[in-house]
Amino acid sequence: MTTATADRLRPARPRLTVDWSDVALNVYIGVFFLYLFLPLLIMVLAAFNANDTPSVTDWRGFTLDWFTGRTDAAGNLVVKGLPQEDRFIQGLGHSLAIAAGVIVISIPLGLSGALVLTRLETRATTLLYTLLVSPILTPGIVLGVSTMIFWRDYFALEAGLLTTMIAQGTFIASYCMLMFMARLQRQDRVLEEAALDLGASSFMVFRRITLPFLMPTIATSAVIAFLQSIENYNTTFFAIGGSWTLVTEIGSRMRFGLSPVINAIGVVFVVFTVTAAVIWTLARRRELARKAAA
Amino acid sequence: MSNLTRTYGPFLTGLVLLLTGVWIIALIILPQVNLIDRAFVYVPRGGEAQQAALELERAQQRIATIDFDIRATEKEIAQAASGGGSAGAGGAPSPSNPFAPGAKIGSSNVVRPGMPTPGLAPPAAPPEQRLKTLETERAELQGQLGGLKERADRLKAEQQAATGYSLRNFTTMSGLHWRIFGMTLVYSFSVTVLCFLVCYPIAYAVAQTRSPERVALLMLGLVIPYAINELLRIFAWVMILANRGILNQLLDTLGILDLAQGEAVHWVASNGAVFCVMIYAYILFMVFPIYNTIETLDRNQIEAARDLGASTWRIHWRVVLPHAKPGIAVGSIMTFMLSAGSISVPGLVGPGLHPDWFSQIIYRNYFEAGNWNIGSAQALLLLVACTLFILAVMSLFRVSVREIAR
Repeated sequence: MTTATADRLRPARPRLTVDWSDVALNVYIGVFFLYLFLPLLIMVLAAFNANDTPSVTDWRGFTLDWFTGRTDAAGNLVVKGLPQEDRFIQGLGHSLAIAAGVIVISIPLGLSGALVLTRLETRATTLLYTLLVSPILTPGIVLGVSTMIFWRDYFALEAGLLTTMIAQGTFIASYCMLMFMARLQRQDRVLEEAALDLGASSFMVFRRITLPFLMPTIATSAVIAFLQSIENYNTTFFAIGGSWTLVTEIGSRMRFGLSPVINAIGVVFVVFTVTAAVIWTLARRRELARKAAA
Repeated sequence: MSNLTRTYGPFLTGLVLLLTGVWIIALIILPQVNLIDRAFVYVPRGGEAQQAALELERAQQRIATIDFDIRATEKEIAQAASGGGSAGAGGAPSPSNPFAPGAKIGSSNVVRPGMPTPGLAPPAAPPEQRLKTLETERAELQGQLGGLKERADRLKAEQQAATGYSLRNFTTMSGLHWRIFGMTLVYSFSVTVLCFLVCYPIAYAVAQTRSPERVALLMLGLVIPYAINELLRIFAWVMILANRGILNQLLDTLGILDLAQGEAVHWVASNGAVFCVMIYAYILFMVFPIYNTIETLDRNQIEAARDLGASTWRIHWRVVLPHAKPGIAVGSIMTFMLSAGSISVPGLVGPGLHPDWFSQIIYRNYFEAGNWNIGSAQALLLLVACTLFILAVMSLFRVSVREIAR
């Protein structure tokens, strides 16, 4: 036995000494996460500062006023908090309405597109595919203005919630389509064939086999579509006209100067996001564990 | 086709095709065609032609007023010549002089500049002299009239001739706007490259982490900021960079500047601030695609390369990077597209204080100048730039559309 083979049989490198490249990488990861989270932490902290310009350095005491508002003894509103900001509340209503519309638009469109692309073997498939994913690759503002002027030019539809819904639906449908395609590619076509052979009507096949198989994806697509719609700013900003959503209202408020009420909204967003992300991670881990056990 | 109809029958197939068709035609193609159509139709601002027409009208009106005054003055002279007193006492108000009786009854101090005051005693100048000045003014105006009319007609004809398909929406774009367009692309490209440089080690590190708990934690750390609204991420940075923001407060505490004396670094007034916030806002669009591709790389390949004596650089250059190409392509395309078309970051970080971003010019043409066709031309430029970037990335990394959008 030569020393070379002996070397190869040994573990690659005994990790007794400090691996400096590992340390450097870990430090880098630490710095990166600090960079990601420090601004958000500052934003969250400033929501509880009694200072009416959002700040953490100029601390004027802990307060929840920006969340609740405050009235003096006579019942007059002294500090305008979240519940008193009517435009934010209305904007949230608009956002939810748009998101509902976007889900209704993008799931049928995305599913149809996915069915066409996965089941229809034509030479034009690549072209169709390029066309159908192009909204994702188009800058949001171009999507926003083109939708806005098109519906105005040809249908005299003024920019508003409806045009925003259409503009968002156009690209969110593409995301849904990609998710449906991924799912459909894993489908066992034999089931559908068998059902047809056993005399099921085509409608029955769709309702009893395809749809149940796609159900999880429909649910995830709905969630993704909802989040994308609520979050969207660039497209919405160009298609919304005189109306507003929660996010565009945050934007216009920011242009007039910073208010801790925006921090309060930020805290609400952060709490929602963290909760959702943790639940999602736990669910995924449980699923992975179940798969590993099976 | 047969495949679909056989499984789902003609009705469902028809529905599926109809929906896809509506999506492609009504939502994707036609709006873009309309945008392109508008981009090539030049509609003159109308400003100049309108101005000329207005000037002409004003001159004509002035001549009419002068005519009126001249007639009144002439009448006055005639009355004065025929032993004026009787006319005044007779109180026959001449049609050209409706104010005459009122002027007599009311206060005599009312002096209307520019209006002849024939009934009022004592007139500023003798009627003959006034007549003369009025007549010279009229002659002068009539001399100009021809020129004005010619100019108004010419501009109107030009306006009509220019309407129609042309490249004028692009050619009339000012040099400044072209420069902003170029700068936007350069900045967006730099944002993309920087995002890649920052993200690659992170994506690699997360993908190479062995313990599932640690991976879950790291992923959570990436997902949370990614899921928090873009505007709030920007807001957090605006808080830091504002004139009385956290960074300046910090410098104040360190004694580098004195906020109390009004000293402050105007961070938000620079393109640098837009640049930094943009990296922060879009960096995670780069991390996830790269992570997704590196994750599928078999770790044994890296081990093998290492055992064969490859250096760390070489491993990355020859093993990891080639494998991650589709991810890098997707990340770059998304980051570039988002930054070049971003209205949120430049619009909200020190709005109006830093040089414009191209998206802001587009916004202004649409919603402030009401100049939709020029706005469409600019939106089209942006779209073309992004498309070219996508094509360049695709050929550089040798990836297909299918690999990009997955």
